[in-house]
Amino acid sequence: MISVERLTKIYGHRTALDAVSFEVPKGEIFGFVGPNGAGKTTTLRILAALLEPTAGRAFIDGADVSSQPDRVHERLGYMPDFFGVYDQLTAAEYLDFYAACYRQPKARRKKIADDLLELVGLTDRRDQAVDTLSRGLKQRLCLARALVHDPAVLLLDEPASGLDPRARVEMREILKELQKMGKTIVISSHILPELTELCTMIGIIDQGRMRATGPVKDVIQRLTSGRRLRITVLGQKEEAAAVLKPLTMVHAVTTVNGAIEAEYEGDDATAASILQTLTAAGIKVSAFSQLDGGLEDAFLRATSEDGE
Amino acid sequence: MNRVATALWNPIVAKEYRSRMRTWRSPLAMSIYILLLGGLGWAIFSAQAGSARNSFNTGQAANYGQQLFLYLVMFQLGLIAFVTPALTAGAISGERERQTIDLLFVTRIPPFSIVWGKLIASMSFVVLLLLLSVPIFSLVFLFGGIELDQVLTSFLVTLVAALTLGLVGIAFSAILPRTLPSTVAAYGVGFILLAGTYLYGLVFPTVIDPSSTVAATVAPAPPLITYLSPIESLVVISNGTTNGYGVRYGGAGGFSGGGGGCSTVGGVTTCYAAPMVAPGAYSKAIFNGQPVTSGSAIPAGPFKGWQFWQATVTLELAIGLIALLASGIFLSPVRRLPWRRRAPAAPATPVAT
Repeated sequence: MISVERLTKIYGHRTALDAVSFEVPKGEIFGFVGPNGAGKTTTLRILAALLEPTAGRAFIDGADVSSQPDRVHERLGYMPDFFGVYDQLTAAEYLDFYAACYRQPKARRKKIADDLLELVGLTDRRDQAVDTLSRGLKQRLCLARALVHDPAVLLLDEPASGLDPRARVEMREILKELQKMGKTIVISSHILPELTELCTMIGIIDQGRMRATGPVKDVIQRLTSGRRLRITVLGQKEEAAAVLKPLTMVHAVTTVNGAIEAEYEGDDATAASILQTLTAAGIKVSAFSQLDGGLEDAFLRATSEDGE
Repeated sequence: MNRVATALWNPIVAKEYRSRMRTWRSPLAMSIYILLLGGLGWAIFSAQAGSARNSFNTGQAANYGQQLFLYLVMFQLGLIAFVTPALTAGAISGERERQTIDLLFVTRIPPFSIVWGKLIASMSFVVLLLLLSVPIFSLVFLFGGIELDQVLTSFLVTLVAALTLGLVGIAFSAILPRTLPSTVAAYGVGFILLAGTYLYGLVFPTVIDPSSTVAATVAPAPPLITYLSPIESLVVISNGTTNGYGVRYGGAGGFSGGGGGCSTVGGVTTCYAAPMVAPGAYSKAIFNGQPVTSGSAIPAGPFKGWQFWQATVTLELAIGLIALLASGIFLSPVRRLPWRRRAPAAPATPVAT
């Protein structure tokens, strides 16, 4: 449904996107994760045909974003990372205006507005002025706005930013509902755990480069394949490190907050044999634990590696 | 709706009407407009009514009518020139500042329709102001001296001037990212278009060379650029004559402005008669004994034979068209200009996954 091929965007001397590629099949929720300034918004703006790429191509449901912006806009609902509301319009009028902008027939526009207000839980606010809505409600209204023409693809740029926990949960519920309706959704965020529950696919971007992309499970597995041990010893850190480093299954040994962290390849039996080796070498181990290979941790590592 | 109707009447027009008319600013602007124009009209009317009553002279009354009309038309032009850039200079930049422009770009409304919608909405308000002024202009008919066609033509000239200012304002709001610089630029260019070009005619008029021995066959015309200003057109519409605007006799003893005179150079006598001969008559310039009368039309140049207002309307519409095209081009989020080529595909770089 969405295909991005070696997308590159250069502003002056700064490369915002460096040959980014990924695919999102129909019906998937793609989490686009990266720190601030990584290139998420640039990618989404190119996908929305609001920005021309320096090189590379991108397609939304087969429509080229560079040469067929009109076809792209028909298929795409875009929600930027700001609200963009008008004063002096009610929520229903706001949706009616955008429905008209998407050339929806006048006879259908009232129903579209009512249905969408119901979907995002704003039915009781239909006659309230848009600029008086709270942040969370505005965000929901903006999501409804992106849906007025029933697009197959939704691009949501940081939909949960600035929302309180309750509003985040509500937003997540709405997105799940949309997935059930068969929409292909791309959500960007700089907070990974926010997306792990919701997304079926994930792409990690940093400094304009795609660090990892694929189904959530695969990415997590790939990123967390190196397991880690935290070992606390009684004053023999150098000796312990000297024992660990030559071991073939140990990739890296670092000292963090007074404890040794060892990254290794293998399973629990491997961990047990590492402990045995340490004690056999006369190292007094006071604590020995496996570090949880969480996604956030993997994300931090993925976005800190190769960082130029 | 067919395509043309859709392009002309797009959702932006309806939304702008709603937004504009729900604020207190619009009724306030209309009230102030009427109060100012009506106040001026009433003041001049009161002053002239007494004189006209005492004179017992219909010719004199007609003259008062013309004066009142000219004052009102000029004041209205000034008010419209003040209001229009304020309506349009923030049209696009305001959308940018509200962060709503991208939301419009991703809809199926083309950028040109966005400009058009903004323009229609703004100009409708200007038309509303002009309509509101009609009862005030009807005062003129109490004196006489002004025909309906003069009123209609002057309204057309004012409307086209407003349209041009509106288009210039929208162009600046599309080109400049912020409303404040856009407003300053729109007022600056508006002043140059309306008043600057008129002043140019006063400071740098067409100079008649008194030492020329070649007998001229046509009366001299003001510099071309001065036709951009609606001021002289409105003067000609209400007075029926230019009063020698934009033309100066270069030698001593010759006529300048409203005067007349003759000079003899090399045995050729060239006379310029006083221009105000009769209403509807342009300055009668007598060249080598042969009078050339051009009525209220432009006597020479590319607009020879045109009425002043026709030249003004044509030139202003041309500038408006340029501004409209510039707005459409600069507004597009992705400008696909023929001289811009896309860069070739980026060289392969390893991607860490």
